[in-house]
Amino acid sequence: MAATDHRRALAPPGNPAVTPDVAPDRPPTGRPPWLGVLGLGLGLVLLAVALVQGRQATLLNQAVQLSDDYVVLTVYQAETEYLRLRDQWHRATDERVPLDRGALQLRYDIWVSRIGLLHDSRTNRVMSGQVDFAQTLARIDLFIHEADTLLGPKPTRVLSGESLRALEPALMALGSPIHGMSLSAAHYVGDHVARRNEAVRHHNQVGIALTVFLSALTLAFGLISLRQMRQLEQRRKALENLATSLRQARRDAEAASDAKSVFLANMSHEIRTPFHGLMGMLSLLRETGLNARQIDYLRTATESADHLLALLNDILDMSQLESGRMSLALASVDLRALLRDVEALMRPQATAKHLALHLDADPSVPERVMADATRVKQVVFNLLSNAIKFSEQGAVVLDLRSREAVNEQPATLEFIVSDTGIGMDSATLDRLFNRFAQGDGSHSRRHGGTGLGLEISRNLARLMGGDITVRSTPGEGSAFSFRMPLLTVDAAAPALPAWAAEAMPPAARPLQVLVAEDHPVNRQYMAALLETMGHHAHFTANGQEAVDAIRLRGSAAPFDIVLMDLHMPVLDGTGATRAIRALPEPAAATVPIVALTADAFADTRDRCLVAGMNDFLTKPVSPQKLASSLRRLFGQSVGSDVPLPDAPAPSPVSAPPLIDHAALAMALQAMPRERLAAMIHAFLDQGPQTVQHLRAAVRDAEALELRVNAHAARGAALNLGLAALAATAEALHEGASHLPAHEIARLVQRFEEQLRLTRSAALAAGLAATP
Amino acid sequence: MTPSRRSLLQAAGTLLLGAARAAQALDKPAAAVVLSITGRVRSPNNGKRADFDMAMLEALPQTSFSTRSPWYGGARRFTGPLLRDVLAAAGAHGSLLRLVALNDYWVEMPIEDTALHDVIVARLLDGKPMAVRDKGPLFVIYPFDTSPELRNPVHYGRSAWQLRTIDVR
Repeated sequence: MAATDHRRALAPPGNPAVTPDVAPDRPPTGRPPWLGVLGLGLGLVLLAVALVQGRQATLLNQAVQLSDDYVVLTVYQAETEYLRLRDQWHRATDERVPLDRGALQLRYDIWVSRIGLLHDSRTNRVMSGQVDFAQTLARIDLFIHEADTLLGPKPTRVLSGESLRALEPALMALGSPIHGMSLSAAHYVGDHVARRNEAVRHHNQVGIALTVFLSALTLAFGLISLRQMRQLEQRRKALENLATSLRQARRDAEAASDAKSVFLANMSHEIRTPFHGLMGMLSLLRETGLNARQIDYLRTATESADHLLALLNDILDMSQLESGRMSLALASVDLRALLRDVEALMRPQATAKHLALHLDADPSVPERVMADATRVKQVVFNLLSNAIKFSEQGAVVLDLRSREAVNEQPATLEFIVSDTGIGMDSATLDRLFNRFAQGDGSHSRRHGGTGLGLEISRNLARLMGGDITVRSTPGEGSAFSFRMPLLTVDAAAPALPAWAAEAMPPAARPLQVLVAEDHPVNRQYMAALLETMGHHAHFTANGQEAVDAIRLRGSAAPFDIVLMDLHMPVLDGTGATRAIRALPEPAAATVPIVALTADAFADTRDRCLVAGMNDFLTKPVSPQKLASSLRRLFGQSVGSDVPLPDAPAPSPVSAPPLIDHAALAMALQAMPRERLAAMIHAFLDQGPQTVQHLRAAVRDAEALELRVNAHAARGAALNLGLAALAATAEALHEGASHLPAHEIARLVQRFEEQLRLTRSAALAAGLAATP
Repeated sequence: MTPSRRSLLQAAGTLLLGAARAAQALDKPAAAVVLSITGRVRSPNNGKRADFDMAMLEALPQTSFSTRSPWYGGARRFTGPLLRDVLAAAGAHGSLLRLVALNDYWVEMPIEDTALHDVIVARLLDGKPMAVRDKGPLFVIYPFDTSPELRNPVHYGRSAWQLRTIDVR
């Protein structure tokens, strides 16, 4: 209790929540108070038992020490010796026999010594209750006093028959009292023994009663403990059940969440497929010579479609971020070019609202960094479009800065988007990054949007290892800061696409394109798109038909490329791809197959590559995307009339140069330029065959085959100074046995791409003939 | 080696030594016989028994101790030869002693007791000879105060006073 009071005293006076709350000290169910009482009783009984046993021990001890029985023996012996002395005395008074002084003296002394024992304290204590005892003892002492004049240590009279006879009656008279003394001693001791036995019996009874009580208490204690244990066990089981059901609930929730993600992905596919057709048709419609009013309607329709697509993309991004399937494709990014792209896209919006738009990169910001350009753009777009959306006047400014690494803080890149818009109060700031929340409920109708934009942006920033923070003053504007780690690029390695774009000479040729697509709208769209680009389109409605079409064509007039939708009835895209690659016709094994899918997931992409596809296009397929893919596969020989605003293809972090000029110089010392050019040409011509071998090996999981081919390619490439090809071949050789299949498929794809790029580079360097 | 065993060995040694010494001869008592040792006696001086007068007992090495006892209030000093020395002097060999008093009271004592404990045949009480009426002239007594295990009726009973004869069996 004292502890409780102490606690109460310590509790802060202004905090009533703590003060009365003393009960939680006890377990929730509470220990029954009588358990304590029982415990106390047990303790008391144990104490009582100890006391009783101690008393019994003392009693026994006393009995042993005092040995009252011994008194009886002493008294009896005194009587016996008295009788023997009386005998001897009587004999001594007989005048017919000579007086044996020694014998008489001995008997007398022994008797006196026996009487002496009756005087000791022990005998006195035992016999003190007997009145006769004291009188008898006095009479005996009187007799000894008289007899000592004859037989004592200092006799004063002459020992003779005469003197002995004179004393004999007195001696005789002692017989009866001495015998009485013996009897009363015996009686006394008998009583005493009886009393002692009674006491022992009583103690025994008390002991037995205590033992019974003790047993009962112990039993009760045991039962209560058992009950407590059973209760504890029940509680434990209940907790376990609760935990099990919670685990189950969590699993259910996770399953539900997964199902939702899958549903989202599927929906995005299902919605985007017809939508893709709609967008395509709208863009084709624009080319059909419309009047001004129609063009206006069309623009409105296109804007709505764009908006809808943006919403769909947001939802898809969110589902990917949530399921952790979002991955970043790091590549060398020209930051200033990126800003120019952003500006080009944002400028019209800003101009439309009469806002000034300034994008400025600090001179200290490096030219190139490693980043996922698409995602960085997405975040910057989001911040800028928000700024424009919520500003009615003034300016929107993007500052790009870099901060060098200081101590533990890594180098960072910071995009600061500030506006002179409506600003936000702290309450708004608090829920700014929450899902579906918009700056102000009243604005949502005016400004539109899913409300996912900022959440996606922040999640993307965090995925990149950075974050987004905001400062804002209502009425004055806001400043969003998007920070990400600054990953530098080796300046010596230029980004591939820029390089490639410069090196690729334009040349057009019409392609025979097989499109496997089950959706009629999409088929029409693809037909229009391909025709616009000058290619010939052939259609099948499912994968099986596509396989049949390729087999029918055979190697006589093969298709140049297959565009394969992934979701189709009868046989889906990946199944069809495997079937095509398994056909006996050589053309079937080499024809490039490009996946068309609304799933932008990385694992879908990997699945396609493993199945034997060469490239991957996400729907909606824009003319730019298609052109860029065709360029990747066929070089600039196919339609290049469409500009290239799309993100660059990913490239390794520190890509070796396509052509190692040092190695080339060494080779040129050994042989004339023409001979080297011919060898490079021959190697590059063999390239597609090598790729085909590599693909077959990947498909059939022939690690050894893969290693042999990769090794051969690497050796030749190194000799010819084709560093990038050599590096990729080496990566294939190294990873053949342990890398996952999709990684290897990617490496093969990279090798194929590098073949093309290397040819361009070699051409530029005057080291190969045009294919 | 436990103390009791050590003292047993010691005692045995003393007994043997005593026996060897006594075997040479046990003098005849010059004065009145106060103690006779009968039974298994190797060096008798009177027929088959060994008789001692007070001087012979006095001639043996003397031991003295103070102890409380049931017969006297408070501690008293007893003096006399060790019982084992007396037995050795008589060349006694056996396992059991029957101690007989003047009044024919007798009690039996295992001979080990003489080895385990310094039992004496007291002839002086507080430095004075004991008369028969003072439980004398000889009093077999254990040093009760040295060990609690001695303070029981068995050993009190073995302390025979007015000792006259020891029968060795």
